Amino acid sequence: MAARARYYDGKVAMARIVTVRPTRDELVILDSDGSNVVARWPAPELVVLGDTAHEKAPPVVRRGEEARLVIEDPELRHLLARSMPPLAALGIARPAALPRIVLFGATLAVAVAAFWFAVDVGSGYVAPLVPYDLQRRLGENVASEVIGEQPLCQGRAGLAAINGLATRLAKAADYPHPVSVRIVKGGPVNAYTLPGGILVFYSDLIDLARDGNEVAGVLAHEMGHVAHHHAIKGLVRQFGVEQLLKAMTGGFSDLGTLGAGGTLLLALRNGRNFERDADATAVELLEKLGLRADGVAHFFERMLEEHPTDAAALIGIWSSHPPTKERIAATARPPTGRPAFSDAEWAALKAACGPREEKPAPRNRPPARRPNPGQPT
Amino acid sequence: MNELAPWNQGGAAQQAPPSPPDLAPSRPIYDGKLGELYGIYLRHLTLMVLTLGWSRFWGRTRLRRYLWNHVSVLGDRFEYRGRGIELLIGFVLVLVVVGLWAAAIWLIHEYAFGGHAVAGMGFLNIFYISLVFIGIPLAFVGQYAGLRYRLSRTRWRGIRCGMAGSAWTYGGLATVLYMANTVTGQLLLPIVSVSLARPRIGNAFLGTQRLDFAGRVGDIYGRYLGYYFLNVVVWIVAIGIAVAVVIAGGHELGITSEELTRLATQPSLRTVLLLVAAVFVLSVVFGLMILPLRCWWQAYLLRYLIARTRAGNVLFASAISTRQMWGFMVLNYLIVVMTLGLGWPWVMHRTLRLISRALWIYGAPQGATIGQPPHHGPRYGEGLLDMFDVTGF
Repeated sequence: MAARARYYDGKVAMARIVTVRPTRDELVILDSDGSNVVARWPAPELVVLGDTAHEKAPPVVRRGEEARLVIEDPELRHLLARSMPPLAALGIARPAALPRIVLFGATLAVAVAAFWFAVDVGSGYVAPLVPYDLQRRLGENVASEVIGEQPLCQGRAGLAAINGLATRLAKAADYPHPVSVRIVKGGPVNAYTLPGGILVFYSDLIDLARDGNEVAGVLAHEMGHVAHHHAIKGLVRQFGVEQLLKAMTGGFSDLGTLGAGGTLLLALRNGRNFERDADATAVELLEKLGLRADGVAHFFERMLEEHPTDAAALIGIWSSHPPTKERIAATARPPTGRPAFSDAEWAALKAACGPREEKPAPRNRPPARRPNPGQPT
Repeated sequence: MNELAPWNQGGAAQQAPPSPPDLAPSRPIYDGKLGELYGIYLRHLTLMVLTLGWSRFWGRTRLRRYLWNHVSVLGDRFEYRGRGIELLIGFVLVLVVVGLWAAAIWLIHEYAFGGHAVAGMGFLNIFYISLVFIGIPLAFVGQYAGLRYRLSRTRWRGIRCGMAGSAWTYGGLATVLYMANTVTGQLLLPIVSVSLARPRIGNAFLGTQRLDFAGRVGDIYGRYLGYYFLNVVVWIVAIGIAVAVVIAGGHELGITSEELTRLATQPSLRTVLLLVAAVFVLSVVFGLMILPLRCWWQAYLLRYLIARTRAGNVLFASAISTRQMWGFMVLNYLIVVMTLGLGWPWVMHRTLRLISRALWIYGAPQGATIGQPPHHGPRYGEGLLDMFDVTGF
């Protein structure tokens, strides 16, 4: 059997039409009329580069040499593959396209769905398993970035009062780690939760509250975020969805931009759901401790008085929080139960940041720098 | 010949006339099949999801092997012999470099500034901003080094391709040119195009045969200026038309600003459809007026760059038209975006078919004079690694 092929000697860019003759021990390469031997390649040293699934004509080489033999004719490749075991790879038929498309298309769809489900549901299971030390370090880093140079309030009695209530709420929520509340002097009117049970309050929020029950309502809401591990869950979900998008779009920049928009909307949707969960948990925890739970809704009412055009309702799907009216309706409770703070504790809390500075009337308050001003996150 | 050189008649009888240079035209042939390409691509995407993207080095390599080996010039197929592991190692090396960079910034922040915010920025902010600043020039470095890697893994007739020149020099040149072009309102674009094509083409090799690039900025500047100012006029007209359509349409349909706000914040199916229709109308205005002009320029530029390229005695030419360039630039873009990336193989397939239709090669290389290059090219390559051009060691 002699088969025609293209031979490149690996030294110069010349193509030579040759015939090849397989024997038991070697592949003999002869010139096109078969009169002269061009090369003899021992069978054990034959290597097929690549495969028929990707290469139209996979080159054959002698191990360690630059020369190549390319056989375009598929029938001749099959013949060679059958007659010389080291060339068996040449005989593998190229896989049919349609079954591969169906197989990998279906697998891809299942993998994406499974990934999405794993991220959405799995984050709830993964978040509590993240080591507390790691959460705490992450929380401390973010706190130092976000708070920056703003001074922290130092009033010991006030800090003891709010931390004491935070600890009781944490216990009621079965949160197994310590929590700590920091009060930042000034504004905006806001409070938020960081990984590792770190709660940050701004003194403007405490100043705005009419009584301790409203602050307790906000504190219980933040404790809801802590108990549900929302900070870590959010990070896990965001990371997961970003990975999926990267994998799917292959880093195509405009798709990345579209994907980033989608990720943001998804994060905001997650955020709204987290807020609803935290609101519900806030009321539940306060009632569990026998404390007045009406402060949660009252504080939202105060926010609505401050900002009658509710930003969350106005910007809809772009808001990280549900509309305030919806939150008031969901958390409205009768004024029953014990006050969350004693009069002395409430006074100490209000004095925790030192003497109150004169501020313009609330309606003229400059807009806060953070999204959704006046909404505890 | 004899009529033109009668004084040479005596000698002509014994001496063969010099043979005219071989300028037989040919085109590259692409014989890939879209279905096969999709089979490879969907497998790649599936593995990407399952491995959280870590399989991309091998997936990219498989796709290249398919594409390269389905293109042939003068009957000889290209070969891609890059390996996924080379790309992985390159990526890991860059991760280490980025890590060292972060560590250096942290040390400076911690010990020189006592860990305090600098200009209101903490460590993470400073780090991210520094990445943006170094990322722009390094992206250009990466482009050149990436090209070097791909060429070094490409063979034709068993001969490796290659790339000389410094990726750092190219990165510096590209950064300066792009900044200057931005500052001058894109008026320097021909200088950017020709100055960057020169090292990219002129430093490329097939074996020991270097490519030549003979482009000159002066050749294309006049046409560019015409295009530039025509473009400005067309933009003004297009924006005027778009604004008029939106205002007139808004009045006609009685759409209020509150409704527009609701459109963006509380989208219902009807408002989403309205939004899609508006985007479609604006796209049509943009597509009809701006893009054809841009495609006309790009087609001209590509024809020019190709025509000024030579590989020894082999010349190149292209007759790519504005319509073909529109298909390449606009339609391909729309295919990828509208299919959320799933149209990528289709775009690659279309692009290679376009190359095989629009590129003409005149003559054949003198293969006996083109040897195997002495160097094997960078050991690792591409991706983030290319951005730092550590492929050289």
